[in-house]
Amino acid sequence: MSFTEVLRKTWRDNLLFSVLVELTYRCNLDCFFCYNDLALRGEPMSTEEYFRLFEELRDLEVLNLTLSGGEPLAHPDFLKLGARARELGFVVRIKSNGHALRGEMARRLRDEVDPFLIEVSLHGSTAATHDRQTRVPGSFERLLSNLREVLDLGMRVKINSTLTCWNEDEAEGMLDLADSFGLQIQIDPEVTPRDDGDREPLSVAPSREGVHRLFALQARRAVEAGANLLIAHGADDGTLPAPVEKHCGAGSAGIAVDPYGNVYPCVQWRRPVGNLHHQSIGEIWTGSTDLREVREITAGAKRIVDGYGPSGSFLNFCPGSAATRTGDPLEIYPEAVLRMEETEKAFGEERKKILLPILP
Amino acid sequence: MTPLDGRSVLKPASDVRFRIVDREAVVVRQRDSEVLVMSDVAARLLALADGVRPVDAWLDVLVEEYEVDRGTLERDVLQFAAELAEQGILEVADR
Repeated sequence: MSFTEVLRKTWRDNLLFSVLVELTYRCNLDCFFCYNDLALRGEPMSTEEYFRLFEELRDLEVLNLTLSGGEPLAHPDFLKLGARARELGFVVRIKSNGHALRGEMARRLRDEVDPFLIEVSLHGSTAATHDRQTRVPGSFERLLSNLREVLDLGMRVKINSTLTCWNEDEAEGMLDLADSFGLQIQIDPEVTPRDDGDREPLSVAPSREGVHRLFALQARRAVEAGANLLIAHGADDGTLPAPVEKHCGAGSAGIAVDPYGNVYPCVQWRRPVGNLHHQSIGEIWTGSTDLREVREITAGAKRIVDGYGPSGSFLNFCPGSAATRTGDPLEIYPEAVLRMEETEKAFGEERKKILLPILP
Repeated sequence: MTPLDGRSVLKPASDVRFRIVDREAVVVRQRDSEVLVMSDVAARLLALADGVRPVDAWLDVLVEEYEVDRGTLERDVLQFAAELAEQGILEVADR
């Protein structure tokens, strides 16, 4: 069996394979467009509950465990939780803003957690733009300094960025910056509403021209070959979509857990399907009627996206985002259509040669 | 590497992570950023290589699972374990 076949099997047979855990919503930055629902309240998961969850996930043969937030390093037991995840044999990914990745924390992260990958956020190619988005002066310079330190320690890092109207003129600068560190960068051209549906972040959504320029830039770099380039497309565990009868692995091969034990089909699909204070993950996974419905919706989403023909892949349609934006997880929202049209335009024939081999 | 025998104690290499999916092993070698999918036999050996039990103890388990005589099983298991060790997936545990 190839790895693609394994992924296909996890999607088709509902084998939990990847879990994203938001350890806390605390954060040392204050990004304007942060998608977390900071007003959400509940009983935080205790460290012991996380240990039990991790053990159960190990028993369910979950391979990928992403520790996220908020800022995961802000959780008081982050290192303890990360070390336990390592001990239990997970491929651990950390999604961090990078602000605290320095000194003893960085060294202990490497030695005690040994993550497969650290994903950090970059918001511009200049301090003025990056710091404007994080609303913390000095955060850009500190990120660059921390990146150098983390790379010197031998850890693997990827840069994530979201295109906004504030940084869209710096897209090339961000790609160049990533290149200067020898790092892969993924720029998502879509700002999403907050998890509670608040649309305020959309006020900094990139312009259509900005999205077009990004795609044109990526197309040019792709043609030049060898550039660090990705169009945001794929799951949080880094896996690409598996060619099965579902649009995505939300609720079929992956789930997300918030700091209060609420379980969701995906980090972007905030439809609660259970709570870990009351049920085990195994009970939720096999018994939740909401999850069953989510799996049916992802099958329906595939049929809808397939209706767009080969271009459908470029919608990068997300049922979770659709649910937040429109209330209907099957409604194709305008930003997805814009992405498809601009990708088509920018990549033209070159795009087919470059991207079709990796798309479902 | 010292040749393996029934007293050898093995464990997954420190950069190796694996899970069993549908009886096959999905193995991630973190250092090389490589994913391998390995047979059900490899999956079984990885699960038994706990850094505590010697290969002889694996044979006690496996002889119940496979219809094969112990001598043949021992030869095959040692050979396969040696291959996994050569690939950097298993390593000899400190005792």
